[in-house]
Amino acid sequence: MSEGERRVISSALSQSAMTGGNESFDYSPVAMMPDVKVIKIGGQSIMDRGREALFPILDELVAVRQQYKLLLNCGGGTRARHVYAIASDLEFPTGLLAALGGYVPRQNARMIQMLLAKHGGLFMMHDDFEKLPLYFALGCIPIMTGMPPFGYWEKPTENGRIPQHRTDAGVFLSAEVLGCKRALFIKDEEGLFEDDPKKNKNARHIPRIGAKELLKMDLPDLVLERIVIEYLARARFCTELQIVNGLTRGNITRALAGEDVGTIIYKD
Amino acid sequence: MSKLVTGDGRTHIASALMRESLVDKKVVARTQSDREFEIMPDVALVSVGGQSIFDRGKSALLPLVAELASLRSKHKLVIGVGGGTRVRHTVSVALDLGIPTGGIAQLVGAMEECNAVFLNALLAKQGSIVMQREHFWELPLYLDNGMLPIVISVPPYHFWEPPPPEGDVLPTHGSDFGLFMLAEVLGMRRMVFVKDEDGLYTADPKKDPNAKHIPHTTLEALLEKMPDEMIIDKQLFGAWRTARHVREVQIVNGLKPGQLTRALAGERVGTVIEKETRSS
Repeated sequence: MSEGERRVISSALSQSAMTGGNESFDYSPVAMMPDVKVIKIGGQSIMDRGREALFPILDELVAVRQQYKLLLNCGGGTRARHVYAIASDLEFPTGLLAALGGYVPRQNARMIQMLLAKHGGLFMMHDDFEKLPLYFALGCIPIMTGMPPFGYWEKPTENGRIPQHRTDAGVFLSAEVLGCKRALFIKDEEGLFEDDPKKNKNARHIPRIGAKELLKMDLPDLVLERIVIEYLARARFCTELQIVNGLTRGNITRALAGEDVGTIIYKD
Repeated sequence: MSKLVTGDGRTHIASALMRESLVDKKVVARTQSDREFEIMPDVALVSVGGQSIFDRGKSALLPLVAELASLRSKHKLVIGVGGGTRVRHTVSVALDLGIPTGGIAQLVGAMEECNAVFLNALLAKQGSIVMQREHFWELPLYLDNGMLPIVISVPPYHFWEPPPPEGDVLPTHGSDFGLFMLAEVLGMRRMVFVKDEDGLYTADPKKDPNAKHIPHTTLEALLEKMPDEMIIDKQLFGAWRTARHVREVQIVNGLKPGQLTRALAGERVGTVIEKETRSS
């Protein structure tokens, strides 16, 4: 090698441009912690309802905490909407909205931590993710924001500026990297409907639907962030998303036991 | 004072998005406007290639360091670095071990940070500083004092890296994309990538002697017909499509002293990629 040449460590990718199209790889990823139950607690749907909605849900989770490894993730809710509305009015970029919106689900996660502290509730940041085995070994219930850590690096949204990756996306991506088959979303509806059931009482419930099928329907509104359904269609591990109504007692317990309550959106 | 709204079991704060589903396309469209606030429009981002510059060592790096030092009094610059061959080795080993996609994304940034430290050591006496992850609000302090902030290039997608498109196995949100997003969110208008070629070619000039140089092109043309092997991450172009601020991405040859200086002075050296229309 002469002076000034690229000094390359030889590897399967040393000559690659690293810009995609590496299908020739024999890649079989390992599931890191497939037995973790990744659970989202809705912001607007649960947290903003206060004690009346949240306490029975926490009771259900505490009752099964010895049986399962629970990883709780929080949504934002009305304060996040208020942040987005003002930031959008100021014509701030999407990445700034994502960074600002991230504060709210962190507050919610801290509130749940305080409520669950006596049962081992533990607030964690994204950087603590690698400590999950320790938290579970100690019998704790780790609680984190549902927002993925993209923040300022959130891509500009087409035709609008609400970040595409919000707390549903973070929950799905946590389940995917941990190698969990199913992620559970606790909301205030029985799952997916063909229209917003809060605005249209005749909206039809959908108990089970494939991701591609759902995207093809091109519904004006969805119970989960659209990008999550797009990711689900190409997921390796997290191939089922379950949405349950946390206001109906017993739903969470049944869902954790593997029952198909609510709506299942699956990779088709 | 903001009004609290109750009555449906939830407590809302009155706002334009109150009670709305943020997934509803009509609601999202209401947050669209033709303008967008520019946070730091007069700053330019310069990216120094990993494989193309750093991995060549002293002979490529030192002249470029001298050039960067001479530029800091003339321009407000933020510098990013690529990771180069060590990133490729990391990913090769991780793929063989079956590390999940998000795990690979978590790993690679360390190799880029090494290059940030290399560069900072060389430029420290000229006032460079390795900026912490998202300490953007310190940038005015650095720039107004003539310093050269070196930023972390890899975006913080980490364990939460989205699954790559079908057929791909590599994480798609790399350092070129990360630097682009940093420029975009701060409202910068231009980025300059310093590589070891005069810019874009119709094929990889290191492998194909018939590859033709492309002095000027547009984002739209690239999106329509993307060369198979690109000198810059493809993810950058996808994000640029919906971006509002970055108008120009220039690629210059860092092995030719003076090209970066000329590019920052507005000369069309290397390859200039422009976005034809600002997305509305």
